[in-house]
Amino acid sequence: MSKMFRDRRKAGAVASPYFAWALIFILVPLAMILWYGLTDDSGAFTLVHIAAIAQPEHMKALLLALELAIISTVICFLLAYPLGMILAKNKMSSAGIITTIFILPMWMNFLLRTFSWMTLLENHGVINGVLEFLHLPTIHVINTPGAIVIGMVYNFLPFMIMPIYNSLAKIDENVINAARDLGANSVQTFLRVTLPLTVPGIISGVTMVFIPALTTFAISTMLGGSKILLIGNVIEQEFTLTYDWHLGSGLSIVLMIFIVVNMIVSAISEKKDE
Amino acid sequence: MNNKIRPAEKIYMAIIFLFMYAPIVTLIVLSFNKSKSRAKWGGFTFQWYLNLVHDSEVLNAMANTLIIALIATIVSTLIGTAASVALTGMKRRTRSLIMGVTNIPMINADIVTGISLMLLFKILHFDAGFVTVLIAHITFNIPYVMLSVLPRMKTISPAVYEAALDLGAEPFFAFRKTILPDLTPAIISGALMAFTMSIDDFIITYFTKGSGFDTLSTKIYSEVKRGIRPEIYALSAIIFVVVLVLLLLSDRMKVRGSKIADRARNAGNVKLKRIGIAVAISAASIAIILMALAFGGVFTKKSTQVFVYNAGEYIDPEVIELFQEETGIEVVYDEFESNEIMYAKVAADGAAYDILCPSDYMIAKLIDNDMLMKLDWSAIPNAKKYIGEQYYQSATAFDPANEYAVPYCWGTVGILYNKEMVQEPVTSWNVLWDPKYRGEILMQDSIRDAFMVALARRGYSINSTDPAEIDTATQDLIEQAPLVQAYVIDQVRDKMIGDEAALGVIYSGEAIYTKRENENLEYVIPDEGSNVWIDGWCVTREARNADNALKWIDFLCRPEIALMNFEYITYSTPNIAAQEMIEDEDIRNSKVAFPDDETLSRCDTYISLGEEGDRLYNEAWKKVKSAN
Repeated sequence: MSKMFRDRRKAGAVASPYFAWALIFILVPLAMILWYGLTDDSGAFTLVHIAAIAQPEHMKALLLALELAIISTVICFLLAYPLGMILAKNKMSSAGIITTIFILPMWMNFLLRTFSWMTLLENHGVINGVLEFLHLPTIHVINTPGAIVIGMVYNFLPFMIMPIYNSLAKIDENVINAARDLGANSVQTFLRVTLPLTVPGIISGVTMVFIPALTTFAISTMLGGSKILLIGNVIEQEFTLTYDWHLGSGLSIVLMIFIVVNMIVSAISEKKDE
Repeated sequence: MNNKIRPAEKIYMAIIFLFMYAPIVTLIVLSFNKSKSRAKWGGFTFQWYLNLVHDSEVLNAMANTLIIALIATIVSTLIGTAASVALTGMKRRTRSLIMGVTNIPMINADIVTGISLMLLFKILHFDAGFVTVLIAHITFNIPYVMLSVLPRMKTISPAVYEAALDLGAEPFFAFRKTILPDLTPAIISGALMAFTMSIDDFIITYFTKGSGFDTLSTKIYSEVKRGIRPEIYALSAIIFVVVLVLLLLSDRMKVRGSKIADRARNAGNVKLKRIGIAVAISAASIAIILMALAFGGVFTKKSTQVFVYNAGEYIDPEVIELFQEETGIEVVYDEFESNEIMYAKVAADGAAYDILCPSDYMIAKLIDNDMLMKLDWSAIPNAKKYIGEQYYQSATAFDPANEYAVPYCWGTVGILYNKEMVQEPVTSWNVLWDPKYRGEILMQDSIRDAFMVALARRGYSINSTDPAEIDTATQDLIEQAPLVQAYVIDQVRDKMIGDEAALGVIYSGEAIYTKRENENLEYVIPDEGSNVWIDGWCVTREARNADNALKWIDFLCRPEIALMNFEYITYSTPNIAAQEMIEDEDIRNSKVAFPDDETLSRCDTYISLGEEGDRLYNEAWKKVKSAN
């Protein structure tokens, strides 16, 4: 590793604005959530706000959020991997274009794009209009978990495509050719060479899709017709509707547990990678 | 390897492409739709694009979005790049620890990041607004920069840098000459990512923004609930096309640029390409700043202001304009979706708004919690002169001595149904429990109104705090849930107009408008009775501009202004003088807008339930919502 700084103190000085920033705006706020989540109105320590996750309506919202997030993540993966392979194959011609294609929609506001799905999916919406025109059976998906999954996949797919594409594009073609020369067929090559080499990309893609999907409240509000309560909606309402910051923070702490688990998993895989 | 794309692969790419761009095409199409309701195609128009020029609200939000994104990108790029460079010189363990912390805002749920920052700002007594949003954006942008720069930094050999130092170069000079050129592409892609994330962020902004400050995201979210103004589609279409063109241009320039660079390199001048990039970036930055200044988003703060917090779609925008022109007071106008959301906001920051327009039971709650200011009636002569005495009489239910509130609108809650889809006569709330209409029913996404329906249906008081009655109502609502298409507030309107549902619970004020748009719609107050409500203007106890707030009230009580407002929002006005001035006889004598005494005798006002009652309702509501 480099010896950019012969003097460690100098390195510290260059990084100090960042350290200060991270301390004040990342660590202290997290401590505040812990504080609110673990105390009651009088400031006394309590675990009731954490335990509140066991209440049936909270548990249900959490489990449903987990279910939908897992389904969305799997769908994103299944869609993104083949796409990444196709894109990586002709990397010479379109390296810049593909990122462009998948980042471009993000410039149209996320809420507007999701809102647009309402117009598409509604019972008398665009898609059903087309289906009716073709004399095909119409779909009734708006305000169901299915619509939420569509919204999640749509919004988070780019976050899966990008890391997978990057790790696929990095694979040295000689490695693939070597495997083929040594007699592996294409399935074997894929399973034993390509796939393992892209694990870091997959993990970062899964993280980038799973976490926002697990915690979203905007997508479920818009495409679920406020009928379907996910854990993100519950937390949001504790802050904006029922004004119970302690409970909201307590439930946020529960959410953070999933995030910590995720961090540990990626840390382990990173170590393996090195 | 075969580098040709097979037809199957082409089809696959086309499908994904269609999936990614179908909503965008839809939005662009909607931006040319003459009808304000997204449910109807009313013909082709450029109107929304033309309106945009005058729509200062949307343009301000846009300017805020761009300025925040730009500053956040610059600051986070500087901090993030410095940190990345420094980190490579640190011990491995320190490095992974710091990277762990860095990753928190990226891996952590946006909602947790947003809330944690909100709590911090609250404790520090930061006024939520431009600065807090900016800090939040810098915080979540730094990881994106570091994630892009750090891996590149790891691959750069320090040998040349060291050589430069050995030859006596100053460290920063050596860095600029040896490391930075190799790092630049990574810095640019990190900055671009940060800018994009910043533009697209909603959740974190939502929690850290204060009153009267909106980015495009939060503006849109507040409009989603009641139907987005088409001007926003137009603006988004413009942004999209501009970005598309810029990207295509930069792609072409890159190709040409690399050719020039090759030639330049041959000529021994590597600098040319870098200068090109620098020029492009600074040109873009200057353009954005100029645009923002032109729209006057962030920096124009007039000295005399009034902060108004009103329900959504509850005023004629022209009234605000007239008030501003006449008084010179700048109106900072925000909208809430429900009384409960309004309360949470005001409870969190009592000085955020000067004047509110809550409903009856919420006014009582605000009075109970000492959050309102007694009105100086001598400063609002129009309020007593033109508002009917009977409305003040009704208002004593929540404001016993008429000290705090001036009635603004009133009405009932009833069922709006589509005559084509519902053949039988609708006379009872029971119709909302009829399995025949599964998936065709819209309920109000508001605790009191939803429970009112269930309680009234059973013949209970709509203000019941009896746990047994609430429990029955809860069970009824849970039983009804599978039949309900959606719980919505202002969206009932659009959905009913677009034939999306057969029946919807709605406020009487929407009845006139919806019937105008779709003549099959009929409004009825069920026989079991319903809620009659009054919304009134109240000044907050901590108001910083109480005098201006009173001027606002007095202005709105002028008959001609009240009439203008009534004709726009179609909610019944308590302004007797304005009522008499209504030209359309059908409306002036409308039973819907101005129900007769017999109907009103069946209706009750909401009263505040008290803390215990609120808790009961909140918990019951959560049960209903998670029943699906």
